[in-house]
Amino acid sequence: MKIKEKFNLRQASVPIMFILICAVCIPLSGLSPKMLINEIITRMGRNSFLILSLLIPIMAGMGLNFGMTLGAMAAEIALILVCDWQIVSVPGMILAAIISVPISVLLGIFCGKILNRAKGREMITSYIMAFFVNGIYQLIVLYLMGKVIPIKHSSIKLPRGYGIRNTVSLLSMRQKLDNMLAINVAGVKIPVLTFIIIAVMCFIIIWFRRTKLGQDMRAVGQDMDVARDAGINVERTRIISIVISTVLAGLGMIIYLQNMGNIATYTAHSQIGMFCIAALLVGGASVDKASIGNVFLGVILFHTMFIVAPRAGAYITGDSMIGEYFRVFVSYAVITVALIMYETNKRKAKSAASMKLKDAQDSEETQKSADAQEG
Amino acid sequence: MDKKRQLIFRGAAILIILAIAAVMFVIGRGHTIYFDNKTAEYDGKKYESFYKVAVIKDKEKVAKLADDERGMADLMGQTLSVTLEITDEKGADPHSAKVSMPIPYSLDGIVINIPELMAGLPAEAYMTEFVPVATSEDEEEEEVVIDEFEITDDM
Repeated sequence: MKIKEKFNLRQASVPIMFILICAVCIPLSGLSPKMLINEIITRMGRNSFLILSLLIPIMAGMGLNFGMTLGAMAAEIALILVCDWQIVSVPGMILAAIISVPISVLLGIFCGKILNRAKGREMITSYIMAFFVNGIYQLIVLYLMGKVIPIKHSSIKLPRGYGIRNTVSLLSMRQKLDNMLAINVAGVKIPVLTFIIIAVMCFIIIWFRRTKLGQDMRAVGQDMDVARDAGINVERTRIISIVISTVLAGLGMIIYLQNMGNIATYTAHSQIGMFCIAALLVGGASVDKASIGNVFLGVILFHTMFIVAPRAGAYITGDSMIGEYFRVFVSYAVITVALIMYETNKRKAKSAASMKLKDAQDSEETQKSADAQEG
Repeated sequence: MDKKRQLIFRGAAILIILAIAAVMFVIGRGHTIYFDNKTAEYDGKKYESFYKVAVIKDKEKVAKLADDERGMADLMGQTLSVTLEITDEKGADPHSAKVSMPIPYSLDGIVINIPELMAGLPAEAYMTEFVPVATSEDEEEEEVVIDEFEITDDM
């Protein structure tokens, strides 16, 4: 009981630290409560779905899926094509989602298969794999689009005749989902439909945990050998978890980009993985345990810090870049601390297990020698 | 038997998704419609522009055109339905006309000449494809930025 309490306090330390940072920075930022709430709600709608995509691999014991950027890349390719075909508004988003799913599935299978060959080192493998797939993405977007894959519009295509511009405008889709059924409460815009989609996703995750596949994933996450002995196809289960995560990341990226109103063709996906993971960890999640509550707490705290830090930095030092550096530093620091904590706990657990085994062996040997002496 | 059923369900699911994609292709096709209130000539006959035209789409005024002006509106789908509020000459009372016409799927931008449309001429008279002229800004070579580690405010 005492150990559990200590563990919980340790997990809560990151959110508590962020609450304190926000408590200090909010008054210094000079932002009005209405503006701050507006910003936070916008960012909740924009980012929550993406962060939810990280939960299933954690459940399957594969840690933080840095490979979620693969899904983001699939979504970007789909959106570029849809933009060129001039399919606009919500139908454009639905079509982009339909196109992104098979690409995400293929990338997810590929990622899952590689991660199965790197058991125990899934996070670093998925992180490096995101770089590798980014290279392929760049090849497709920079050289094949316009040359092999037909791209008609000059607003999307680079002037040289092939390749996609640095920024693709999504003006025809901008906040179409957010504005549908949106309500205004005391000057705060609430994107009701986006929140409904996020809520549905939360219920699907809760339901999924109770299914046979969800239970299998939890079993695999706890102990792969035991799960294998129980007849679970561990490799397949792990691949499915990565496929689901990649597909959800793709859908989340479409929600994210429709809110932004443009695609930073070559950089949007690389940032997204890092910030989603940081937000989840800020919400109190760890590498091996995360819940839906962590997602929402993380989005609120991390993005509050993101909004207020530059202004607070400008107030304290007279230079807004200090706040800018601070929030970037915190993003990376929180991931580093989480990984160190995870590794330390893993080593502690391993050494405790080996000590236990050694004790058991010693006592067995003592028993044997005692029996021999008696005999 | 179970495998066969599974296969049928999967096939049906894929077909449904493809059907949804096809529907999205049709209903989501965007067009930019340019309305011209300009004097035009067709078959040797001149069609004079109006003093003022207001284009109303979905109860919203999307363009307000004086004589010899062009306005634009975005359209989703293959049918353009607008109400034109036309003032023939200064001081005259405006009269309304409801217009509905199919828009060719393949065209991104379409120019509609209102005087010719109101004269009841065929579609090839009042409807032409809008061909954008490349600006010097479009022609300028763009440096592609693929820096992985750059962090921006786009969160």
